[in-house]
Amino acid sequence: MSQVTATLEPSLIRTLSGIVGERAVITDPERLLVYESDGLTQYRYPPSAVVLPASVGELQRVIRTLHEADRPFVARGAGTGLSGGALAVDGAVVVTTTRMNRILEVDVENRRARAEPGAINAHLTTAAAPFGLYYAPDPSSQSACTLGGNVAENSGGPHCLKYGVTTRYVTGLTVVLPDGELLRLGGMGQETPGLDLVGLFVGSEGCFGVVAEIEVQLLPRPEGVRTLLALFDSLEEAATAVSRIIETGLLPAALEIMDQATIQAVEDSVFAAGIPRDAAAALVVEFDGIEVTLDAEMAAAREICQDSGAREVRTAAQAEEREALWKGRKKAFGAMGRIAPDLMVQDATVPRSRLPQVLARIGEIGRRYDLLVANVFHAGDGNLHPNLLFDRNDPDELRRVEEASREIMEVCIEAGGTITGEHGVGLDKRKYLPLVLSHSVLEAMGQVKAAFDPDGRCNPGKVLPDEYLISTKDPR
Amino acid sequence: MSGGPSRLPEGALASALSQQTERLSHCVHCGFCLPACPTYTRLGDEADSPRGRLHLMGAVVEGRLDPASEAFQLHMDRCLGCRACESVCPSGVEYGFLLERAREVAVSARQPSLVQRLLLGLIQRPALFLPWMWMSRLLRWSRIPALLGRGEAGAGRPGPLRLGAAMLAASAPPSLRVASFTGTRVQDREGEASGEPRGEVALLTGCVQDQLFRRVNQASRRVLAANGWTVVEVAGQGCCGALHAHGGRLSQAREMARRNLAAFQSAKPRYIVNNAAGCGAMMREYHELLGEDARELSHRVVDISSLLAGEGRRPRVGDPLAMTVTYDAPCHLLHAQAVSGVGEALLASIPELELRPLQRAEECCGGAGIYGITHPELGGEIGMDKARAVIASGADVLATGNPGCMMQIGAHLRLLGSEIQVVHPIELLDESYRSAGLYES
Repeated sequence: MSQVTATLEPSLIRTLSGIVGERAVITDPERLLVYESDGLTQYRYPPSAVVLPASVGELQRVIRTLHEADRPFVARGAGTGLSGGALAVDGAVVVTTTRMNRILEVDVENRRARAEPGAINAHLTTAAAPFGLYYAPDPSSQSACTLGGNVAENSGGPHCLKYGVTTRYVTGLTVVLPDGELLRLGGMGQETPGLDLVGLFVGSEGCFGVVAEIEVQLLPRPEGVRTLLALFDSLEEAATAVSRIIETGLLPAALEIMDQATIQAVEDSVFAAGIPRDAAAALVVEFDGIEVTLDAEMAAAREICQDSGAREVRTAAQAEEREALWKGRKKAFGAMGRIAPDLMVQDATVPRSRLPQVLARIGEIGRRYDLLVANVFHAGDGNLHPNLLFDRNDPDELRRVEEASREIMEVCIEAGGTITGEHGVGLDKRKYLPLVLSHSVLEAMGQVKAAFDPDGRCNPGKVLPDEYLISTKDPR
Repeated sequence: MSGGPSRLPEGALASALSQQTERLSHCVHCGFCLPACPTYTRLGDEADSPRGRLHLMGAVVEGRLDPASEAFQLHMDRCLGCRACESVCPSGVEYGFLLERAREVAVSARQPSLVQRLLLGLIQRPALFLPWMWMSRLLRWSRIPALLGRGEAGAGRPGPLRLGAAMLAASAPPSLRVASFTGTRVQDREGEASGEPRGEVALLTGCVQDQLFRRVNQASRRVLAANGWTVVEVAGQGCCGALHAHGGRLSQAREMARRNLAAFQSAKPRYIVNNAAGCGAMMREYHELLGEDARELSHRVVDISSLLAGEGRRPRVGDPLAMTVTYDAPCHLLHAQAVSGVGEALLASIPELELRPLQRAEECCGGAGIYGITHPELGGEIGMDKARAVIASGADVLATGNPGCMMQIGAHLRLLGSEIQVVHPIELLDESYRSAGLYES
């Protein structure tokens, strides 16, 4: 992997400009600095160029041109990813989908929507709202992240505990393969004839091609929603409450935990939700569905929280209170800049029953490496997000973050978990992949990748370790 | 790849940004600001987003980017300075503050455009500014701009002459079709201001506001007096310096701020009332330019709609105005001053006035000080989108509390052939009071 920016030949720049217009091809290395990082700032890989197509046709012609010029490329949406998945390793050309940002259709009768890849996740729900419909996957960055990125990462979110992640909602895709071929996969039906290529594409982290259009299923808004906020004097108690809620057989729409450092960062921000700053942990429990069941479910959850040691249990009585709580929760990552200049958001999943022990171990790792760790996570899914806070200008601290990250991963794997819950492997977790996947599984993945991208030009340097990449020619 | 530290401007200027490492470090690159940015949502280039611009500022501080480079110059210049990003930033990055320092570094590395230098130079010099404004008023009176600036839906982008004409025409007094009121007067209700004496306030008369929108200043004085405020005239005050600060000319802005600080400090009013959101935002941040000495004064600066209708206060009630109005919150009230809902509350206090919702009211109109003139293409695109939203609201009148916004939105409505009138919210309250006979004594 190199960080060197390989400049584009003038003839290639001319061809690309001819397709998308001169202003939509950026090659000035200084203007490209902005694209050297995505939501994960530890890495800097400036691209050789950024191309901004505005339509499926332009996108296809751009990819075909890059194929003919034998150039590596990587698709990028809003650049909110947290595994470095959209970074331009090997001087790849960044193909940005932000100008392809329209919601194309909301088909109310069939509860389907079609959108361009650069459309913002939350905009889809806004477009569907007048019809009583919404798009269920709600990553915390949903106000900014794109549907194309969601498909690539198979994104989750707080409410995926009950409703499942992106793949459950994608019913059809139009994709451009690395050689420029345009394919329509699936569409309309829940089940498509033949092999499930839509399922294969969702979560492929941009390694198989570029998504050009997305068809998703929408859900009707549930009749009722109830939200509860339980405050605890220890993180472990909150985690215990989560395990017990799941054990009882309750199915909340969301079960989210924020620790004290996170609560304080959020309460200092414009998204302050009124959570007491002295609480060691705040647990948000939400139920939705038909009205008659909700109060009983809330009562049961309340009791479990109190039995687990909650010092206070509140109910969000008004829609505004619930909204404030969710805003605070979803913007928590962005608020970490109040604590430290840089952060490493870790993403790992453990069995929910092991949450209390794993959280205790993470706390201990943080203390041992002298790092501030702020936890904010999808507790119901056992999906942890320890935020390691640091200053990149301190090389020793940077090294400690790296080592602590690895130890946290090891602890999660040891507890029967895995190295990512929703952020993807991307660039950052590539090194951990062999810790959780066997040699033969990695080989199989290499073969699937080669079937879509025989030249190895599509999102180079991501997901699979180099030794598992099969390519007809070595691009490096 | 990029310039080394040796290419940074020498001494104090480079440090304008370098001193801000701490403020810059709050950005964690989450990207939540991207969809709030009018230039990013239209251009799609992350370098035209708040996060991207902060990244470029960081690169200058790190010595990786020359402030004279095309990248830094282009993207700092292309920012509207609307500060919508601040309203959605979880980490509270002080973007507006950083942008002004970045622009100071940018303009000291390379001269800005002629139009920008000309405009800022004119505003700063009364000997040039006053004759220019006098000629503008004469031209406006001739009604030539009104004829020249009228367009029709579907027409292409206007040339500079037509845009200028439309802007000047948009500064003219509105023609409000108010049926003369014959019904029963609304009696004063509990909790509303009555006209009982409340204290002394001063009005910032401003530069453009004083010359092209003097009627708004006069309406402000009357409305304040009707609500019990004694308006004291403060001599020696002048332009607030906002346009210069936004353009990175901090030393000139500081000079103007210092003059106002002295003038208002000696008058000692309880509040310094602003009816131009951009000036209000600037004066509320004087302490950032002048240090702690100015903090006390900054805290006494308040927007007129806040003073009358903020924090549950209700202005005195006049006659009904049966008209449909939509309200566009100036960015420097909504985002820079973080004041929301007061313009709407003020208008809602007028009986029978129907307030229509405006789609994307939180987005900049593209006027952004002098941006509409210095960046006619992008500013025009944003302005057209705003004008189309105003038309779609179905209202007969658009109210907004900033001269730049009034001229930008008014110009683009005209260019689209719309007859929608543009007013300052205080003008409507004034009309309601006048009709009710509150000024007859």
